[in-house]
Amino acid sequence: MHIPDGYLSPSTCATLLAAATPFWYVALRRVKQTLHTATVPLLSVFAAFSFVVMMFNLPLPGGTTGHAVGMGVAAIVVGPWAAIVAISSALVMQAVFFGDGGITAIGANCFNMAIAGSLTAYGVYRLVSRRAPIGAARRVYAAGLAGYAGINIAALLAAIEFGVQPLWFRDAAGAPLYAPYPLSISIPAMMAGHLSLAGLAELVISVGVVAYLQRADPALLRTTAPDAPDRDRMLSAENGMDLRRLWAALALLLMLTPLGMLAAGSAWGEWAARDFNNPEARRQMAAASGQHAPPQRPPQEMQRLSGVWTAPLPGYAPPFLRSAGFGYLLSGMLGAGVLMLCGLAGQRILAGRPARPAPASPRRASYITRTAAGFARAAQEAWFAEETARRPGLLQRCDPRAKLAGVGALMLAAAGVRRLDVLAAMFVAAVLLAWLSAIGPGTLLRRTWLPVLAFTGLIALPALFVVPGDLLYRLPGLGWSVTQQGLRSALYLTLRAETIATLAMLLVFSTLWTHLLKALRSLRVPAVAVVILGMTERYLFLLLRSAQEMFEARETRLVGALPPADRRRLAAASAGVLLEKTLQLSGEVHLAMQARGFRGEVYVLDERPMPAVAWLPLAALVTTAACCWWIGR
Amino acid sequence: MTAPAYILRDVSFAYRGQAALRGLSMHIESGARVALLGANGSGKSTVLRLMAGLAFAQSGEVAFCGETLSSEALARDEFFFRFRRRVGVVFQNSDVQLFNPTVFDEVAFGPLQMRWPRDLILAKVEETLASLHIDYLRDRAPHRLSGGEKKRVALASVLVLDPEIVLLDEPSAGLDPRSQSQIVELLSAWGQGAKTVITATHDLDILEEIADRCYVLDGGTVAGEGTPLEILHDVALLEKTRLIRPHRHVHGGDDRKHGAAPHPHLHVHEADVQSGDQKD
Repeated sequence: MHIPDGYLSPSTCATLLAAATPFWYVALRRVKQTLHTATVPLLSVFAAFSFVVMMFNLPLPGGTTGHAVGMGVAAIVVGPWAAIVAISSALVMQAVFFGDGGITAIGANCFNMAIAGSLTAYGVYRLVSRRAPIGAARRVYAAGLAGYAGINIAALLAAIEFGVQPLWFRDAAGAPLYAPYPLSISIPAMMAGHLSLAGLAELVISVGVVAYLQRADPALLRTTAPDAPDRDRMLSAENGMDLRRLWAALALLLMLTPLGMLAAGSAWGEWAARDFNNPEARRQMAAASGQHAPPQRPPQEMQRLSGVWTAPLPGYAPPFLRSAGFGYLLSGMLGAGVLMLCGLAGQRILAGRPARPAPASPRRASYITRTAAGFARAAQEAWFAEETARRPGLLQRCDPRAKLAGVGALMLAAAGVRRLDVLAAMFVAAVLLAWLSAIGPGTLLRRTWLPVLAFTGLIALPALFVVPGDLLYRLPGLGWSVTQQGLRSALYLTLRAETIATLAMLLVFSTLWTHLLKALRSLRVPAVAVVILGMTERYLFLLLRSAQEMFEARETRLVGALPPADRRRLAAASAGVLLEKTLQLSGEVHLAMQARGFRGEVYVLDERPMPAVAWLPLAALVTTAACCWWIGR
Repeated sequence: MTAPAYILRDVSFAYRGQAALRGLSMHIESGARVALLGANGSGKSTVLRLMAGLAFAQSGEVAFCGETLSSEALARDEFFFRFRRRVGVVFQNSDVQLFNPTVFDEVAFGPLQMRWPRDLILAKVEETLASLHIDYLRDRAPHRLSGGEKKRVALASVLVLDPEIVLLDEPSAGLDPRSQSQIVELLSAWGQGAKTVITATHDLDILEEIADRCYVLDGGTVAGEGTPLEILHDVALLEKTRLIRPHRHVHGGDDRKHGAAPHPHLHVHEADVQSGDQKD
């Protein structure tokens, strides 16, 4: 869901950032305009909450786990505009501290998840809940659907952003420069995962939190329910909500959609193979590859692979539904529905068996431990960054503003370079710079290279076989062919992701967060946004500790393993409790701010203009970036 | 000092329909060091909130230096800045009070809101940090501080404006004995100046050091009033207001006589409770 660095071209990133800006502008203006001065602390603490919720490891049917973004909860509790600010703030935090989502892709991620996701979730919630009373079960269903729709719209947008990359951005030899997969692959791949797993995680959290608030603090649901009758019909009992029913309904709905439209067959089989037979695509490819004609036929194996998918569902869909993206989406939904039903059936079968002592499987029993450990690790990660930022080193001595602008320019250059050798040189330069800044290769390896490789490498690997082009090597035994373009494209993706991630880490690990914030000010980021980001970070640690303690307290009272349904309930209830703590905290913080003269207007101490010496490293970094860009264009 | 710092007349206040204060009246002279004593839920934090202008009496009147404290009054710029400048509040939970990314920003927050000029802010923040001996913390993030350090930063963030009146909510709660005594020393040092220090606490050990006058609150009203010594010796009052609980307590050896250095003693001696509370 979080788009990493190197998957989108700089122009795509810039476009999405530009698209996000008016939304932020309006959202921040609304924040400033509301007479209620409590919004600044509320948004900050709520952003921290979203961040922590993103770390909740939610058990899902079928034995897997997923993470939610929290856009559903945010849109419902604080409204869509505030949710945009809060989720954006949380996303920035994730990108900066944990490399979750790229820094160059921050505009794209915020646009997809914070803006489109929150607005969708809000729309769906209002539409479905209508005038239902605050305590009505309908609101719980509405919340679930809102979260589910929100994250899936976000995923669809991301998939489209990925999918257009190979159409528009290829190097001289025709190899995709960024995300290598066309829409016909990126959409089903993304949607399958989100319609089933990540979507469910969002659903669990939204449903859990809203159901919890209905019992614990219904007033909090008032913000986005202006039409609800005053008389709150409270839920009869805690177990009044049977989530399983909701899921079964959702699964059926998902399965029925594509079947009803008889459209599913058209798409799955095509993958990239279709491009070989499509004259238009062939022309494009040839043009992009310097007039080298692509091979006449797609690699045989790829066609065989397509056959697997097309076989059960013949392509007799109406022509207008044959557009690849739509068909994939629907078949993705079918897949998700099947998966969900299987999970439910499996659970039912297991539940039907006579109760036996829970197996002392350490993996299952340690679910809570693992979640709690995750919180602790997150806090440690950020502390580590602070530690390295205090070491004596080259970059640590630079003015933060110079560093932010300079390293930022380098990251942009690395994102835009169209030559592998230049990209490799930039990577080496970044490593050297890190070494001069007391950040050793061991640290880089552990904290950046391996995680990025594990993720991007896995994504890039199929590109070797899927990207059409000149045959380079045929895998013995399997007979799969590696194309030259495929290899180049996998290298682009991996090398670019690694280079930008290394540069990003350089910036974060050599600069104190607070200095980075101040530097943002000099880039004309509004003071209110800077203050919210600062407070988000501040309360992030408090809530992380809170969440960790909550899970640990639970662990000490736990004997044996918890069934998945209980684990889900636990996670959702924890999120609810945390949300209440969050809101209480934000109320108290607001009082403390008021007591010191805060009236809603934000003031910050702006730095003095940069001293002359600070311009030197800035000039050096920017010149290097410009050179790299020029040579590698 | 002309007008009293605070006069509370028959003040009532309820949170969500639950009464916290029931017709409470209080008179606090400027320059006085006052302790508000009370068990949990006695209303002492609410009194502080009213005095801090963070909540407003639903009936009765809170007067600050002769002027009524109301949301209308605080909406006037002139009064708002004057009031916020003169009254500092130290919250019980330092995590609530410290909301800025660094200690320096924290201390600079108040002056920034007061729209002081930049150079004055820088100078004043440095001076305050130095006077509380926390200049070495200036670039640290609040979440990396110890409880005692946090409290001192919270004090600095209030003292930087040089307020005449300081409201403290449980300043010694949750601190280890050493940090606690440091905070108490700081508080008692203020008393030498012209500051009015109003402390809400249930920590009877620090009472004498931080206050010249005590109000004992119970159930949202004033249950007793006096000097710290008078209050500490009024065992019946302290028991009634749940500030102490009679318990068996035996002094070893000569201490029993409280010989050369008599001190106010909170423990109830065996002899005193013979007929009294024997529940434990």
